[in-house]
Amino acid sequence: MNTYINNLLFTYLPHISFAIFWFGLITRLILANKTVQAQSTQLLADKRVKIGSNLFHVGIIMVFFGHLTLFLPEELYHLVMTTETKRIIALILGSVFGTMAIVGMVILVTRRFYSPRINYNSNFHDHFILLLLLVEAGLGMSAIAGTATTSIEQYAALGRWAQAVITFQPDAGALLAGHSIQYKIHIVTGMLIFMIFPYTKLMHMLVYPFAYFFRSGYQLVRRRR
Amino acid sequence: MQIRAQIAMVMNLDKCIGCHTCSVTCKNVWTSRKGVEYVWFNNVETKPGIGYPDEWENQDRWKGGWKLDKERLYPKMGNKTGIMKNIFASPTMPTIDDYYEPFTFNYSILHKGSKFKTPPSARPHSMLTGKVMEKIEKTPNWEDDLGGEFEKRSKDMNFKDVPKDIYGEFENSFIMYLPRICEHCLNPTCVAVCPSGAIYKREEDGIVLIDQERCRGWRQCVSGCPYKKVYFNWETQKSEKCTFCYPRIEAGESTICSESCVGRLRYIGIMLYDADKIKETSATPDEKDLYEEHLNIFLNPHDPEVIAEARKQGIQQNILDAAAASPIYKMAIDWKIAFPLHPEYRTLPMVWYVPPLSPIQSAAHSQTIGMNGILPDVDDMRISHKYLANLFTAGDEKPVKEALKRMLAMRAYMRSKTVDKEVNTKVLEGIGLTPEQTEKMYHLLAIANYGDRFVIPTSHREEAKNVFQHQTTGGYPDGDISDTDKFKNLFGGI
Repeated sequence: MNTYINNLLFTYLPHISFAIFWFGLITRLILANKTVQAQSTQLLADKRVKIGSNLFHVGIIMVFFGHLTLFLPEELYHLVMTTETKRIIALILGSVFGTMAIVGMVILVTRRFYSPRINYNSNFHDHFILLLLLVEAGLGMSAIAGTATTSIEQYAALGRWAQAVITFQPDAGALLAGHSIQYKIHIVTGMLIFMIFPYTKLMHMLVYPFAYFFRSGYQLVRRRR
Repeated sequence: MQIRAQIAMVMNLDKCIGCHTCSVTCKNVWTSRKGVEYVWFNNVETKPGIGYPDEWENQDRWKGGWKLDKERLYPKMGNKTGIMKNIFASPTMPTIDDYYEPFTFNYSILHKGSKFKTPPSARPHSMLTGKVMEKIEKTPNWEDDLGGEFEKRSKDMNFKDVPKDIYGEFENSFIMYLPRICEHCLNPTCVAVCPSGAIYKREEDGIVLIDQERCRGWRQCVSGCPYKKVYFNWETQKSEKCTFCYPRIEAGESTICSESCVGRLRYIGIMLYDADKIKETSATPDEKDLYEEHLNIFLNPHDPEVIAEARKQGIQQNILDAAAASPIYKMAIDWKIAFPLHPEYRTLPMVWYVPPLSPIQSAAHSQTIGMNGILPDVDDMRISHKYLANLFTAGDEKPVKEALKRMLAMRAYMRSKTVDKEVNTKVLEGIGLTPEQTEKMYHLLAIANYGDRFVIPTSHREEAKNVFQHQTTGGYPDGDISDTDKFKNLFGGI
């Protein structure tokens, strides 16, 4: 890949997408707070949603947390494990939860497209987000074989790149120059997801009701004064 | 003692003719929108029957209400962790097929269609898909007037411990109507299971409402409510429920279902209760004691100590005046003829019912009827007492029987007075009513004047906001009263 494009996609695009992400996130939460919600279609048909939705959500949440380990500096995780061990753990957990997420999404996609009630009441947004996530997860899974066979340096470079990006290193993109195309498409699609995130229903993850655990007792009474 | 006022309703089932006027007026006012076509904040069920949605009383299936686990109360769906675990797909949430698939008829084809070869007909179209429906499977009152076969209707949970095969025979069948709205419970499960904290009980009048701005569509309330009176709007993907017509209540007017009731069987009034006792009362060990314990939570609005304490706690005088004149208090406490619906769900519901009288079985004609002195024996009534007790007192027949006796005695007493022209006080012996009380009861139940049925104090909006400073600014962006809190909830999603 040409150096210019490589730099554009892996040095600058992450910053552009994060700028859009934060701008959208803040404006949406202030200006259209009540639109941030889960958009459940369970009422209309739940034959497949119970298994599909649970598989997808559990899978994707675990995969998300797995990706956060990219930001762990090597010095830090070397205290507990070597890079090889980390790769093995990542491969195993990534395959398990990635498969869960994909199976769940396939169930949800068939339901979304082939259940008449759901399909009739879905718009482009519902279809697009679902397919986008499916493609992204598919790309991630397809990179697993590559991750397992490449040199350990190549694997470690992924983490270094992520850390270089968030620490604003000017040459971050160069770290990915030698990686296979699956990684690159996976990352660019990921950036696309970040960019559109604040304008989609994916926002519902930000209002996950943690406060429920901290409510004293169960009942809520509102005073007029 | 923490005194709170609760707006409550009693429906006198003895007078309900099942005309659905309440349902239709409610529908027109509140749920004639896309996404809630299937929703009836008020619906009238024919009993015995499984109701709307299917088998809503079967809490083994729907897991609504509370369960008592070693003296502690938990939502039957599970504790907080259990509820949050099910947030991705609620296992006990009814689907729209458990209510009914909403439909409309394409009448326009009758006006606009070209010449028909066969007589034209307007076919039902699904409001979910727009497609023609070959068959309407059900509606909210599919079992109206005992429609359908007994086998299906007999799944009614209130047949518990009732020899239902006997009531399946045509000669022994019985019928009653049960209009239902949200119960505006003192211990609501919908509030308890809402993870977003969007559902709340208003302190000033106890109305339970859903804050549409804070509802995030997690759907747990739909499963949590044992009366299945929280509905999911599939268009906005947020929950909605009966609001007790709070804009009307605040203005001192009755709800639309009560206002339009042609049988004049709905009563609205204020009840004072001790909020500190809610927890203890809902956790009463024996289900059958729940009705009695529920009565104990109410405070006597005529008691000077209660009045003084209520004033001290900031309850306005007009609300105390209304509580003293409350028709609900008279029926529930003074005469004990009104009962909560399914107290065993432990939510302490606040829409109560006067059980219906029913014909004395045909035995009366053949002179074999048990005459308890002067009155016919209530045991000979057509509607099974056990059935009524399962509805209203968690299976305890005694209070229901007593109430029916009082109502029979009232009729006999008034008949002696107005028809025989000679007052017979003997009919009142042993049932705990004085002639004065009986006349008052007759006045409230039979005459049912508007002012007696609805004793509703106007609310005190002036306590909520100093509206004076907003005068002449309402409706303009800078001064719009409703918009002042807009920027406060940044990141306040939960």
